[in-house]
Amino acid sequence: MKGSVIKYERDNIDTDVILPGPYLKIHDYAELATHAMEGIDKDFHKKVKPGDFIVTGRNFGCGSSREHAPIALSYSGVKAVLAISFARIFYRNAVDGAFLLPIEIEENTYKDISEGDQLEIDTSKNEIRNITKSKTYNMRPFPELIGKIIAAGGLFNYKP
Amino acid sequence: MTKTLFEKIWDSHVVLDEGNGRSLLYVDRHLVHEVTSPQAFDGLRIAKRKVRRTDLTFATMDHNVPTNNRSLPLVDQTSAMQIKTLERNCKDFGIELFDIDSPDQGIVHVIGPELGITLPGTTIVCGDSHTSTHGAFGALAFGIGTSDVEHVLATQCIWLEKPKTFEIRVEGKRKNPHAVTAKDIILSIIRKIGTAGGTGAAFEYRGEAISELSMEQRMTICNMSIEGGARAGLVAPDKKTFDYLRGRRYVPKNYDALVEYWQENLKTDSNVQFDKSFTLHADTIAPQVSWGTNPAMTVDVTGKVPFPEEYAQGSIEEEKAASKALQYMGLKPGTSITDIDLDRVFIGSCTNSRLEDLTEAARVVKGKKVSSKVRAMIVPGSQHVKRQAEELGLDRVFKDAGFEWRESGCSMCLGMNPDILSAGERCASTSNRNFEGRQGSGGRTHLVSPVMAAAAAIRGHFVDVRDLDLN
Repeated sequence: MKGSVIKYERDNIDTDVILPGPYLKIHDYAELATHAMEGIDKDFHKKVKPGDFIVTGRNFGCGSSREHAPIALSYSGVKAVLAISFARIFYRNAVDGAFLLPIEIEENTYKDISEGDQLEIDTSKNEIRNITKSKTYNMRPFPELIGKIIAAGGLFNYKP
Repeated sequence: MTKTLFEKIWDSHVVLDEGNGRSLLYVDRHLVHEVTSPQAFDGLRIAKRKVRRTDLTFATMDHNVPTNNRSLPLVDQTSAMQIKTLERNCKDFGIELFDIDSPDQGIVHVIGPELGITLPGTTIVCGDSHTSTHGAFGALAFGIGTSDVEHVLATQCIWLEKPKTFEIRVEGKRKNPHAVTAKDIILSIIRKIGTAGGTGAAFEYRGEAISELSMEQRMTICNMSIEGGARAGLVAPDKKTFDYLRGRRYVPKNYDALVEYWQENLKTDSNVQFDKSFTLHADTIAPQVSWGTNPAMTVDVTGKVPFPEEYAQGSIEEEKAASKALQYMGLKPGTSITDIDLDRVFIGSCTNSRLEDLTEAARVVKGKKVSSKVRAMIVPGSQHVKRQAEELGLDRVFKDAGFEWRESGCSMCLGMNPDILSAGERCASTSNRNFEGRQGSGGRTHLVSPVMAAAAAIRGHFVDVRDLDLN
C-alpha cells in the first residue's frame, strides 16, 4: 500500500472536526466525503487524493461514536491514518466496515514523517517505508481482534 | 480469584471466549436512535436478516428533533427524512419506538433509566458514545458505531477485546454539595487524567463522594467517562439504585429477587487489584469551567485563563494545542474566569438535563432575571422530566426569569438541530463536549454545571456559585 502524506501536527483531533454534526444527516457516502476534516481544514477534500495517508498525533478520533467519521475519510480516498494513538470507538469503527487502517506509530516516527512524504505500508511485516526519506519505521502490531477483523475484510466477514 | 464489578459483568456475558480477552459478548439492551441506525437497517435488508431480539431493542429520536414548537412540520428536510426513516425501520423490523409525539420521548440516555430499561448487571449498547451514562446503575454500557449496531441488531452479540480495569476513587465529602456538583467532580477527574487517560479501560467510580451521590448525579459522572477516554464507567449499585428503579415500567416482575441477587453479586471484591488507579479528594474540588477546546482544558472558577506554556508544562504539542484553543475561544491568557462574559446559556443534554439538574438550577434563578445580554434556554432531557418539572412549577421559575422552556431532545449539545450557536457566540453549557464547532460552526463552549450555567445567565458572566446562598 503506497500513498502520500497529509500531516496534522496536533493531538486530540475529534470526530466533530473530522465530520461536523450537521452532516450526520447525510446518507450518501460520497457526499459525506466532501465534508471530511471540514472542522479544521476546509480545503481537505480538494487536496486529498485516492490512496493518501493522514499522519497525526495522539488520541485521534476522540469523542462521538459516529462511524460517519471513518466513512467520510475513506470515501475521500484515505487508506490509512497513522497516529501516535487512537480513541477506541473510532479505532474499531475504522476496521468494522473495512474503511481504513488505523495504524499506531511511535512519537519519533510521527515527528520524522513530513507532509507530502511517500510511504509504503506493509502490515504483514508491521513496517512503514518512507520512500522520500529512505527510512523504515515499525508500526505497532494490531491487537488480535482488530487484526483479525482487518484480515477478514470487515466485521461481517469475520468468523472466529 | 477476586474480581472487579466490571469483570463479573463481563464474565457473565461471554458467549464465546477466543482467548486473550477476545470475546463475543451477549447484549442485554440495545438502544437505537435516528442518526447512527439508518445504514444498519439498510444492511439488514440487503442481507435479508431480521432483528434477533426485538424485545430487547428500544428506539427513540433525540438528536435531530426540534425543541421548539412540535406541532409544526419539520423545516429541515434531511432531519425529517432521518426521523421518518427510523419510524419506518422500527415498523418494518418490529422495534418499540418512542417517537417525537410520544409522552416517553427524550434523550436516549435519559429515558433508558427513567423507563427502567437500564438495569444493574446488564450489558447495554447504543450507537452513541454517551451510552456510558447507564454505567451509573452498575451496568456495562458503552457506545458503538453503525456496523456494530447492525451486528447487534442481527445477533444480539458484540465482539470485543476486554478492556483494562481502572479505579477512580473520589474520597471524602464535597464542602458545599449544592455548589460543587457531580459535573465538577467529573471535569476535575478529566482535567487530571486527560482526554485519553482511560483509553482501553473501563472506569469504576468508588469512594465516599461517589456513594453519597444521587442516581442522577452518578449518571452525570458516568456520562462523561468517554471524555476521559474510557468507553464505559461504572458505579456499583446500592440501595439508591434499587429504590430508583423500583416500579418503573420495564423493570422485570421478579424485582425483589433481582435486588437480592444484585446486592450479593454486583460489587468489586475486597483486595482486588485494578490495572490502574487514580484518587481525588472531594473537599479540594471547586466549581469547574472549561476554557479550551477539549474537556481536559478546564480550571477552577477562581482561576484564570492559562498561559499556553504554563498549561503545557514543558510539552511543545500541548503548548501549541493551548494556543490554538485560546485563539478559537477568543480568550486572553491571564483573564479571570469570572470576567468572561456570555452570550448564550444552555442547560440540557444527556449530561445535565434531569429533574435534579433543573431543580438545582432553579435555586439560583428563582426571583431573578436573565441578564439582558444573554439568551438562555432550558431543554429538559425527556418529556417525563418536562412534565415533572412543570408539576413542581420550575417552568414558571425559568420562564419568569426570561429563560426559554423547550421540548426534550439533544438540542444545543451537538449542532444537529435548529438549536445552534452562531460563529463567535460564547456559551455556558451543561453539555459534555467543548470541541471546535460542536455547538455550531465557530461557536465557543464553556462546560459547566447547571448551577454555574444558571448563575452565569443571571449575571452575564461566570460567578463562583459557592458565594451564593443555595440552601
